[in-house]
Amino acid sequence: MSAATHRARRARKARHGGPVAWGFALPALIVYFVFLVYPALSSLWFSLTDWDGLSAAYNVVGVDNYKNMAADPVVRQAAINNLIWAVVTVVVPVVLGLALAVALNGKVRGKPVLRLIFYTPAVLPLVSVASIWGWLYNPQYGAINAFLRAVGLDSLAQPWLGQDSTALAATMVAAIWLRIGFPMLLYLAALQGISPDLYEAATVDGASRWQQFWHITMPGLRPAHYVVVALSVIDSFKVFDLIYAMTYGGPGTATQVMGTWMYFNVFQYNQAGYGTAIAVVITVVAIVVSIPYVRSQTKEHAI
Amino acid sequence: MTSVVPTAALPDATIAGTGPARSARRKSTGGIGTTVVMTLVALLWISPLALLVITAVRPLADFVSHGPLSWPETFTLKNFADAWGIGNFATTYRNSAILLIMKVPIGVFLSAMLAYALAKLRIRFGAAIMYTVFLGLTIPIYITIVPVFVMARSIGLTDSLLGLVGPYLAFGIPFEVLVLQSFFRQLPDEIIEAARIDGAGPWRIFLTIVLPLSAPALVTVLILDGVATWNEFLFALILLNSNAHKTIPVGLLNFQGQFSNNSTGLAAGILIAVVPILIAYTFLQRWIVGGLTAGASKG
Repeated sequence: MSAATHRARRARKARHGGPVAWGFALPALIVYFVFLVYPALSSLWFSLTDWDGLSAAYNVVGVDNYKNMAADPVVRQAAINNLIWAVVTVVVPVVLGLALAVALNGKVRGKPVLRLIFYTPAVLPLVSVASIWGWLYNPQYGAINAFLRAVGLDSLAQPWLGQDSTALAATMVAAIWLRIGFPMLLYLAALQGISPDLYEAATVDGASRWQQFWHITMPGLRPAHYVVVALSVIDSFKVFDLIYAMTYGGPGTATQVMGTWMYFNVFQYNQAGYGTAIAVVITVVAIVVSIPYVRSQTKEHAI
Repeated sequence: MTSVVPTAALPDATIAGTGPARSARRKSTGGIGTTVVMTLVALLWISPLALLVITAVRPLADFVSHGPLSWPETFTLKNFADAWGIGNFATTYRNSAILLIMKVPIGVFLSAMLAYALAKLRIRFGAAIMYTVFLGLTIPIYITIVPVFVMARSIGLTDSLLGLVGPYLAFGIPFEVLVLQSFFRQLPDEIIEAARIDGAGPWRIFLTIVLPLSAPALVTVLILDGVATWNEFLFALILLNSNAHKTIPVGLLNFQGQFSNNSTGLAAGILIAVVPILIAYTFLQRWIVGGLTAGASKG
């Protein structure tokens, strides 16, 4: 090894913080590894067993759980529901959030109050959102059916959460209600960065509002689109609370998603090994989809 | 991906700087129409909560005979008293508050330490650490619940608020580090360098210079982490089973089952559960909005 590499190495070492830096980093890293990384990885192990979640002993069954998933009609239903959930509760809130942001960025009175209102549902506990909407959907006493009857649409009044045909859509409406605020806030911040002079120049050139939106606003928001969509997709894979507290995956299995079906297998059907395998599959999908975002965040900040 | 603020993304940015003021952008007539439309949409958006308040303050008989969309003939606060007692809210409030006080300051402090190491101390493998920690943003809680349950049981911490602290800390760390390290990065190196020359050690610099200068970011992270902790449901659902230890979200779920045919009592209970968070949000929204935007854009 040449003297030059030695020198370079010593110089590199001096630039690093050494033990002091690790003293700052380790407490959080230990907590993070013990309570997040280690449990997530040991789920991989549990997913290869037939553990029931209660007894002391269990057998390693290899990939049997994964094979069984392929034959489980509820898993298929849950996977489809997850996909529908991901598309609808990302696309609709992002589009509506963008529309609200553009409207609020124009000449509107009471902007702070309007912004406050649209983001309010997002700070509520998801269980309370589920309670509120469960109550609105109540077939007998709910406000939604009462409204339909009041305007003469009695035939449309129905048990929204109690029938296969409408249950999933009904839960997604609640999700849209609470998820519209986040994209709105991010787009509002991003819109501040688009120079008003661009619109000015476009107006002088005779461009319509619609043309200005597509040729100035949308390209200007491109970085924001990326962040908003990435974070919304990441969030959509985590769906559990809202479905569990609103329908328990029912009626039947109509609103099961991978997260709730995993929970029921582990804590009600005593199939911890199988349930964990379900969680592994959906988590791997979530991670793979999110890796470009994580990488971009790291690249941006790494020294 | 740089930041939400698109500077380089505009190909024709060169024409900027010649036009008149921003106000000319929208015709003044446009304001009223947009305001009316937006107000109507906002009313629709807030109507579930408004309906909840109206229902909570009327007697059940009044609600049943006139329907959910009518204005109450009489008002009462009795629903709140009933819901408070049956919903066990005195206990769940206390438990959620204890958890908040135990978990949030520790979590933010540990995250701030890690963020400082990443942003200013040139830690080895900094990029790898960051990647691993940010990956935590994408991990759903349910992938960890079986091992976490096993761990808690093996050390006797099931059905205990203490057993929630570790998992809550771990799942809070990625977002907190993301926001804090980006804030710390913007602190000028000269200040830290000057303190070092004056003989201050890294801890002293961290506690007396970095943290005070970062007060806005710390407040934001404290609030957002407080909201997340107050609202967390799944870990609390699997780890807590006796009524004496339940937190607000789990308690509300039980309560919801008992009151399914008593709409006014249910509305009062839901309000009891969400009022602290609504009040906190209304007063602290400036910090919440700033933090979400910073966390999502600048990273």
